Amino acid sequence: MNSEVCELKELEVEHFEIREVLRCILHTIIFHRALGLIRPKAIDCELFEITYVQCGDAEVEKKIEEKIDEFINKVEKHPNRKSQICLSFYEIKNKQSTWFGNNKVERLYWEHWYIYLHVINPKAHGKSHHNKATTDLGGEALEQSTSRHAALESSIREVLFQIIRFVNEKKDHLPSIPNHEGISFPYEITILSSSDSSFGWHTDVLKRMLQTGHPTMIS
Amino acid sequence: MAESSRTEQIITQFYLKALHAILGSRIPHLHGDPSSSSAAVRVRKRDRWFNLALGDLPPALDHPHHSVMDPMIIDVILTPRAAPAAAEVVVERWTAQCESAPISWNHTPDSSSSFLFRRTYKKSILLLRSLYSFLRLLPAYRVFRMLSSSNQSYNYDLSYRVSSFAEPFSRVEERELKLHSFTPVETQFGQLVVSVQYRPTLSDFNIEVSSLLPSMIITDYVGSPAAEPMRAFPSSPYEGGARPMSFSLRGHRTSANPSAHRPHSWTSAPLAHHPMSSSPIPASDATFSPPDVYGNRISSQRPATHRKGSFSFDEFKLSPPFSPSPTPSPPAHGSSYLQSRLRSETAPVSIPQPPTGKSQVHRSPNLSDPTRSFLPPPSPRSMRTDLSSQNSPLESRSFRKSEGLRIGDTYSNMQLFTAQKSLKDGRDDSGRFSSVLSSGGSPRLGFSRSSSRLSIQDDLDDGDFSYPFAVDDVDTSDSQTRNLDRKEAPESVQASSHKSQDAAVGILVHMLKTAPPLRQDESYLSQSSRSELNREIGTSSLFMSRKTSDALEELQSYKEIKDILLSRSGTQLLESVQHRKE
Repeated sequence: MNSEVCELKELEVEHFEIREVLRCILHTIIFHRALGLIRPKAIDCELFEITYVQCGDAEVEKKIEEKIDEFINKVEKHPNRKSQICLSFYEIKNKQSTWFGNNKVERLYWEHWYIYLHVINPKAHGKSHHNKATTDLGGEALEQSTSRHAALESSIREVLFQIIRFVNEKKDHLPSIPNHEGISFPYEITILSSSDSSFGWHTDVLKRMLQTGHPTMIS
Repeated sequence: MAESSRTEQIITQFYLKALHAILGSRIPHLHGDPSSSSAAVRVRKRDRWFNLALGDLPPALDHPHHSVMDPMIIDVILTPRAAPAAAEVVVERWTAQCESAPISWNHTPDSSSSFLFRRTYKKSILLLRSLYSFLRLLPAYRVFRMLSSSNQSYNYDLSYRVSSFAEPFSRVEERELKLHSFTPVETQFGQLVVSVQYRPTLSDFNIEVSSLLPSMIITDYVGSPAAEPMRAFPSSPYEGGARPMSFSLRGHRTSANPSAHRPHSWTSAPLAHHPMSSSPIPASDATFSPPDVYGNRISSQRPATHRKGSFSFDEFKLSPPFSPSPTPSPPAHGSSYLQSRLRSETAPVSIPQPPTGKSQVHRSPNLSDPTRSFLPPPSPRSMRTDLSSQNSPLESRSFRKSEGLRIGDTYSNMQLFTAQKSLKDGRDDSGRFSSVLSSGGSPRLGFSRSSSRLSIQDDLDDGDFSYPFAVDDVDTSDSQTRNLDRKEAPESVQASSHKSQDAAVGILVHMLKTAPPLRQDESYLSQSSRSELNREIGTSSLFMSRKTSDALEELQSYKEIKDILLSRSGTQLLESVQHRKE
């Protein structure tokens, strides 16, 4: 079984948009991976004219919200940086005790999704402003903000299309479903250390991939 | 179960689920919003297919595709309300078909027969997931959301057409459409391909809130005298010679259009989906039973027990809820996938002709038949329909449990009533009436309209009427309204027994609307309204073709009337108003 990786298009977001963007993307991915019986829930984004689908599982929602909180906290400490969130699906393999002397539960990751966010701060505003579009700005700045918002919305849509395309094209690597109800595969969300330099950026990615312990390299 | 029949069943169910998903996100008020029901609602077996619980399917849709090798083509159509059918635009065309694969499926190395259909099933689960998400990313979804908002009435309608064949687009149209194709799913019979041609932008359409009058009830909706022969209704104490009414509804058209001969049939424009759509029912005075045509077939598809033991799913641990029945028998009709044309009639309902005495508050027609009494609804507070009630017509009585009705929400409960209506009282009457009913201030009154529009006939001039109940005068108290209804029911128009049924209904409705509260002097009615009624009768023969959506609105009004009657008789509990989210 191969491990597949999907790197989503990078999004430039302002601080106040992070939550909605992440919700949208994470829930969409999980919806396509929750292959147990679910009752889908369509949710409208508050900030964008986008409707995404949740799998309807309260546990999942809670976990996602927690991760988003964690991400936002991290990002606040290092503003104006590129960050990434990795959503990984794995299989649990129980390994018999070897010369380690105890049973090791090993995770075999079969899919990684990388969400790249570049949290920006429009220069005219401090971090604390949440309603940039409504503050007293010159008309030009307002216009820029609006167009940036529209561009982001269309980028988010592109990312969602990207997810759907990937889900459609790569189906063979899915393992057998361990859990019938709701979330069928165990998953984890990791916030990778943000970095400014592009070199460090890729280093993080490579390090992460190597940590999976899976012999197969990403194609 | 043989491999091929399992595969066939998977494909058949896939078509059905895809249809459900598409229509559920494109056709306003298809049925009660499944997402509004609590998660604790038992998931029906049909829902378990592909592990995607979409809620109840309208009975009309609950009919499997008759042949897996025939494509299923769903056109989503945007029609301006004011314009004729020619102005309709196909905004999306969804195509699902099983294309024969040139390479034999059996060539795969690990193609044990019990493995193939499981893989098909798993991949089709994924395909449906992505279809579901994708539906919400297309521009037509936003239009759907707009038109689904219950408080507004728009100048456009979204409807659909399903068939096995569709005329190809013209070159001009093709250029405007974008194509998206989902990755095919391999099956034993070929590749299952789902694709969509869609308009990338709908900004050309000026979709806005229509200027038509807001939600109103056509309370004096009557059938035209030229209506089809109606079956005599079992006698009720109030029949008193009034002829029963029947309504028939034509749904959206298909390539075959056999109902064209009917004088008052709808325009051939595709109409909003009707939950009771069924394949062609002989154009007779059959009673309301369109689902019965497929009832047997449907029930045979849904056995009571789910056989899991017949095969194991060790590898994928996915168990499609196969039914033990063999492949579904092909329907009686021809090539069209689903006869979207609606042909059903309600059992006729007699206009209650109450005696002068007040003792008999109401006598609805025999409720064991799928008929409804026709009295105006009670106060708004008492009217909510159970939004999650089942679609089956036999369960439509469940709506009586709830007090109010929302137009959009009644689709799942509604019987088919066509609107062969001539609005007797005209706009003022309806407007007044609706304000009477909306006086409770509840925004969720059944009279708030969504995409379905009430056709008010402007040419009926009833401005001279003076109603005892001005909008402001309406007392919001339940008791008053109940008194009103109770009062209205016994009021009779003595002359109506000799008039046409249209007149009778119109008169009745007018009476109900103008009846004063119980504590007022009864003689008030007789003196002031008699002459007005006579004038109304003259206009009763006016008829205007209406769309299904209008008919359904009217249906709702009748349901509300029924609710009143039932509450009057004390047979139903008053339930609290349910709040529906959009």
